Amino acid sequence: MRIQAKNIEHYYGIEHVLRGVDISIEAGSFTAIIGESGSGKTTLLSILSTLLNPTSGEVTFDEKAISELGNIDVFRRHNIGFVFQFHYLISYLTLRENIALSALDEATVEPLMESLGIGRLAARYSDEVSGGERQRAAIARALVNRPAVVFADEPTGNLDTKNALGVYELFKRFSQEGTGFVVASHDKKIADYADTIIEMEDGKIVKILKR
Amino acid sequence: MITPIKALRKNRFKTALIFMSMSVSIAAIFLISAISGGVVSMYSAMLKTDGDIIVTQKGIADTFFSDINRSMVDEIVQIEGVREAGALILGAAPVEPLPIVGIYGVSENRFKSYTLTQGSTPKNGEVILGSKIYETLKHPKTIILSKQKFVVSGVFKSRIGFEDGGVVMNLHDGGVLFHKSASIFLVSLDDLAKSDSVVIKINALNPDIEAKTTDSFIDSYNQFKIIKTSSDVIGAMAFLMGILGIVSMMSMVVNDRKTEFGIMRSIGLSSWVIIKKLLAETLIIALVAFSFALALSLGVLELIEHADKFQGYINGEITVSLALNVFVVSVVMAMLGTLLPAIYAARIDPMTLIQRGGA
Repeated sequence: MRIQAKNIEHYYGIEHVLRGVDISIEAGSFTAIIGESGSGKTTLLSILSTLLNPTSGEVTFDEKAISELGNIDVFRRHNIGFVFQFHYLISYLTLRENIALSALDEATVEPLMESLGIGRLAARYSDEVSGGERQRAAIARALVNRPAVVFADEPTGNLDTKNALGVYELFKRFSQEGTGFVVASHDKKIADYADTIIEMEDGKIVKILKR
Repeated sequence: MITPIKALRKNRFKTALIFMSMSVSIAAIFLISAISGGVVSMYSAMLKTDGDIIVTQKGIADTFFSDINRSMVDEIVQIEGVREAGALILGAAPVEPLPIVGIYGVSENRFKSYTLTQGSTPKNGEVILGSKIYETLKHPKTIILSKQKFVVSGVFKSRIGFEDGGVVMNLHDGGVLFHKSASIFLVSLDDLAKSDSVVIKINALNPDIEAKTTDSFIDSYNQFKIIKTSSDVIGAMAFLMGILGIVSMMSMVVNDRKTEFGIMRSIGLSSWVIIKKLLAETLIIALVAFSFALALSLGVLELIEHADKFQGYINGEITVSLALNVFVVSVVMAMLGTLLPAIYAARIDPMTLIQRGGA
């Protein structure tokens, strides 16, 4: 899948947060969007992931506009995964139930948990595991339907360095298996793992570095 | 699979509040319906005893105000198809220490309707007491009615609460006590199919009386309409209060669980999945609340029935039909009360999750 954003402008009220952004993301790539707070990276991520409509400009998935994708919930469930800064696991469900929440095929849940090293925690609740394990469960939830692309917004913001690097390694591993990752982060270490690094400043892309 | 019971257990306090709100509303609907239905069915049963046709004074609002000449009974029994006719005086008076007691003056031929458990039928200056009031008054030998002393000649048992908690005397004493000849006539027929023709003939006897079949009388009796309407209005208010309680509590629940619904939206679960989830949770509460309210109502009705204070006059009954109706009302109440908060939950923008953590 190819995601393209053309001439994206976005305002929050009178605040101009994105200024004519053009970007193209390929399936299986690992793209990092870096920049200071307020640079517009989270807004761009939200627009690329269909959660937010831009004030102007267009986002296409394989040349199709969002309005041509049919039911956006169904499209999102099949094609897009999310990882947030906070794990946002539902506290009254076990890790397994959280991951199975949106699974199109429940049989994929346990192998995925095993591959992420949290198989033994399937019956535990989020408050019974460590921060790193919680974020791995959140990543598993994002990956359970093998989406074309996973969007992650500051996914290591609440993790220590060791766990943060573990998350980047997971992203790298799954991107090599064909899932695209678009990660917004302050963390410069992500540059060591991403294929493409997009640097933003004041709502504009100021640098694109491809490896 | 999402388990609604887990969600309810997680939000125990608010679940308990919704449960209590629903239980109180459902119990209120049960009680008001059962009590009003009980009053109507008791009075109807009393009128139907030995009465296929009821004769009252024409145009009166209540049988208590009716005054008809008891001598007409003799003319009525002459009508073809009439098996028996009896006069009845309906009144109420205080009997120390009870503030108000139903008093029935009955013609001789109606005494057979009362199953005496002790003593004999009353002569002049005597009364028989229903077993309930006999116990409440602690087995009195005499009672005072409007400053007149009456000897208790016997005790009877009746399944009709108004009678079991009432005082029965002969027609003569009833007439003296309430200054009237008779309140109503109860006419029994050989063949119910002839009731319409007998009604016409009775009405032809005197322009000041009005005869109706008992069923027709009960259907058109103003007091029953008032009781039924009051019960419906109070029941509807309890229903609305229940809905409002659920709406307000569920709105708080949805607000507390914004993140959960935002996550569901972000991972592509449809709005309908979220709405169904909340409806399922409230439905579970409704089922438990219904069972609890049913048990509570049966307990309260049992207490009321045996409370001396109510003299057996309040004798509610929860029939299978009433229970089914209230069950449907409970489910509808739960669904209606949850719908708006559920729709709101289904529209929660996952962006709020990102904005909470992102730049």
